[in-house]
Amino acid sequence: METLNELLGGFATAMTWQNLIFAFLGCLLGTIIGVLPGVGPVAGVALLIPITLNLDPAGSIIMLCAIFYGTQYGGTITSVLLNTPGEASSAITTIDGYAMTKIGRAGAALTLAAVGSFIGGTIATVGLVAAAKPLGEMGLLVGPPEFFALMVVGISLLVALAGKSLVKAVISGALGLLISMVGIDPVAGAPRFTFGIDNLLDGVSFVAVIVGVFGLSEILSFRRNDVTPIVHAPGFRQLFPSRTEWRRSAPSMARGTGVGFGLGLIPGMTGSVSSLLSYAAEKKFSRFRHELGKGAVEGVAGPETANNAHANAALIPLFTLGIPASPTIAVLMGAFLQQGLTPGPSLFTEHSDIAWAIIASLFIGNVILLLLNVPLVGLWTSILRVPTPILTAVILLFMVIGAYTINFSVFDVYVMVGFGLLGLALRNLDIPLAPMVLTLVLGPLMERSLRESLEISQGDFSVFLSRPISAVLIAVGLLILCSPLLKIRKPKALTEDPEA
Amino acid sequence: MTTESVTTKAGSTIRIAPGVLAGIGAFAAVGIYVLVSSLGLGLWTSLGPGAGLFPFAMGALLVAMSAVWLLQELRRPSARGEGVDKGVVISVVASLVILASVMDLLGFQLSMFAFLLYHLKIRGHRAWVPSLIIALAGSVGAFYAFNYGLNVALPVSSLAPLNLIGL
Repeated sequence: METLNELLGGFATAMTWQNLIFAFLGCLLGTIIGVLPGVGPVAGVALLIPITLNLDPAGSIIMLCAIFYGTQYGGTITSVLLNTPGEASSAITTIDGYAMTKIGRAGAALTLAAVGSFIGGTIATVGLVAAAKPLGEMGLLVGPPEFFALMVVGISLLVALAGKSLVKAVISGALGLLISMVGIDPVAGAPRFTFGIDNLLDGVSFVAVIVGVFGLSEILSFRRNDVTPIVHAPGFRQLFPSRTEWRRSAPSMARGTGVGFGLGLIPGMTGSVSSLLSYAAEKKFSRFRHELGKGAVEGVAGPETANNAHANAALIPLFTLGIPASPTIAVLMGAFLQQGLTPGPSLFTEHSDIAWAIIASLFIGNVILLLLNVPLVGLWTSILRVPTPILTAVILLFMVIGAYTINFSVFDVYVMVGFGLLGLALRNLDIPLAPMVLTLVLGPLMERSLRESLEISQGDFSVFLSRPISAVLIAVGLLILCSPLLKIRKPKALTEDPEA
Repeated sequence: MTTESVTTKAGSTIRIAPGVLAGIGAFAAVGIYVLVSSLGLGLWTSLGPGAGLFPFAMGALLVAMSAVWLLQELRRPSARGEGVDKGVVISVVASLVILASVMDLLGFQLSMFAFLLYHLKIRGHRAWVPSLIIALAGSVGAFYAFNYGLNVALPVSSLAPLNLIGL
């Protein structure tokens, strides 16, 4: 009952006209980012953080969350119409989505994807409401050693699941941790790795790094002969699926919700893993599995439901434990921290009104996205007709503004350029970027909990093993990292996850 | 003439792409630098862990992983990627560096206008009219939208004549 009252209080805050506008703008911008091939959700959210800097914390996070799950919707449009995913978690939708376009059912595919996304996202948000209080209270019992161990598990999962090579993933994670250590040491107050540059005393700007590594490096990877695609949007009448298509999609949406929600809770599992495994589930359990690959609605409804259920479920570890489950959530966590909000159990005790307003806004955002996506599909596809040089110039404009406005300093523009080149090098060396983002956010928290734990135990490292919860978590983390040595193979889908 | 590094191992010739070798070398060098710097920061103090302990661990990890990666490459060199379009990289990076270096002097509007015009007209080969419209909207329009709409101050010129006319 108490939870319901708090949720209703959250709705009261989220439904003020200012917050409704922020949610609407977030959905709009998120869909555009999702539609644009080249700007992924990670860079997209980071890029738009500066726009939200001067907003109040609730409005700012409401807008950024809307951008985040708006990208999941937008990515579908290019997958279905162009055979090119706008973002990684919609990649699998290209198979049946594009096949449906070829047989004249593009409109139905887009509607089913939007409805599935709405259902998956809404059910996952209900899960977040149910889990928030009990998990948050459990989280309050966690001390520095357990918190450190929890982060070890989170990082181990992301490192172990990212990309094809564990070694490269560890390098990426270590790089992120090192970058997070630049600046004044929080305990001793001594400068670390600042090279005598005053601008680095406060550390490297998180937004500049993310925009550089994810956004600029993507633009630097463009080729001179990249051409603007030709798109034909379906008409309004073509947007309605037939009764058979609705009936066939329902079980796929149910399975997609289950897969997406379950995997969203696990740190390291990205939205693309959810959609890939949802497609695998359709291949195994669907009555019409023989039609998959030839334009079956199940191949669109299942994965699209799964990636949105995943996106909302992935907020549960962030809200309750302060652990970001994916790179985009890590960027969101950075935005929380910039607004003076620390995600985790204390969020519900110190900023309960804001936490519930954000949760309520997830329900509202899902409705806005459903209303925005289906009727306006023609508008979204027109974005794809914008020539590449114009898109590149506009994206670069926002990158420069984004980097500059964090500290109102051109130094951060140089930082962005430097990290853009680093991102390009990492892409060329096939080093996954996801572990780097996660450790970049978690690095300071991880170091602080390690040092606090060791100060409590007067330097005795056994503190991590003498407390049962941290001992179990450390063992789990080590087991995950050692899994390649134990010949535990990860599913093919995970090794080929483009998001990781 | 080959562009690949050649390493001989037990009578067989293993070719590691120079880019990969440079990458491994760079990560190892960063790791060694961090290891040495961390020692200077202090690994342990009377109060417990020092400022250098965590970076030391990361530096060691970076060096160790670079070594393992090198061994992996010697056993089975990884396939080379598509590479990059150097023209795109140079033009984007150079234009961004120039923009950053003149933004405080000329102000956001003028420097961004030139930056956008370069990318639209010269690099993108767009027609004059759309190029000018987009460059104006992205420079003057963005300046006013951010300054007055979002209360986010973008830089104005430090040169008095430009500043006086609102640039």
